[in-house]
Amino acid sequence: MTTELDPLIHMPTRLKIVATLAALPDGDALSFTRLQDMLGLTPGNLIIQLRKLDEAGYISTTKTRNGSAQKTTAALTAKGRAALSAYTQALRDLLGGLDGDGRPAEAGYEISAGDAKLKPRAEIATRQESP
Amino acid sequence: MDHIPGTAGTTQGGGFDPRQAAALLDQATQQARRAFTPLTPLLFTFRAVVALVVFGGFWLSVRGQHPYTGHISGWAIAVAVVLVAINIGWTAWVIGRAGTGVSGPAQRKWQAWTGIMVAAWIIGYAITAPLYHAGVSHPVWGLYPASAPLLIIGLAGAAVAAAFRYWPLAGTCLAIAAAAAAAGFGGPAGSWLSTGIGLCAVYLGAAPFTAWRQRRSMVRP
Repeated sequence: MTTELDPLIHMPTRLKIVATLAALPDGDALSFTRLQDMLGLTPGNLIIQLRKLDEAGYISTTKTRNGSAQKTTAALTAKGRAALSAYTQALRDLLGGLDGDGRPAEAGYEISAGDAKLKPRAEIATRQESP
Repeated sequence: MDHIPGTAGTTQGGGFDPRQAAALLDQATQQARRAFTPLTPLLFTFRAVVALVVFGGFWLSVRGQHPYTGHISGWAIAVAVVLVAINIGWTAWVIGRAGTGVSGPAQRKWQAWTGIMVAAWIIGYAITAPLYHAGVSHPVWGLYPASAPLLIIGLAGAAVAAAFRYWPLAGTCLAIAAAAAAAGFGGPAGSWLSTGIGLCAVYLGAAPFTAWRQRRSMVRP
């Protein structure tokens, strides 16, 4: 078993964006300005992160024009919700494999250093033994 | 797994620990839930106090009437008007704040539910005018305003919330209707107190339930 954290979500800013949009009911969208206010991000940073999520199909952005003002809204897609759900499950698996001190539990899982991956000890041991 | 540009720092070198990620996920989710929830725990708690003070005040002003006339003293009405006005203002403010920048089908349903509730409030209490005009007996005059409007409002709110699948809201509205129906058995004067206690209990139950829904962890069971 290998539990991997989706690298697209496993980044503080994008995790906050996805978590915030996931708190809305399915199909609802949030304006760019409200999202920016809630997360305390600069417009440039938010645009970059939204573009990455949009390219992956995790969110959908819509631009509407009302007179001279343009309004951008972002909504989490079904793919984005599924990705967050998988990410949350992976976190549960990871943290379930750690004891209270953050060390690997006796159950037999280890986090490979800095890799955000959970691998069975048996798999790691086998790999270490092989030439 | 594909490595997306911009994520290297998180997947190589351990810049973003899974425990930090879990904490951040919970923090961001809870913050968003609080921001998008129109009916906050604090508002429910305030409504519990309002219900007890307003209906309790009405009960205090009519409980000594023999025979029962249903006349409510001026101070009780003044207190009720002030507290209800604060409640309406606060409710409108939190609903507006929660819905700022939000669009979509669920938001439109919520707006529809709010509109229906405003109509139910107006209709529920407007019916007292023809009752007064018809010169109904004092016990009826005492019983109707204390319980019937809330029964109408509670049932209307529960029906619409259930149609929209807002189950916690439907449960709260149904509990309000049940409290109002039960209060009808309290007699002309006692129904005021029963309604106040019933509403207070419903709101005091809704407040911690809403707080629990906002705070529950995404990661930990």
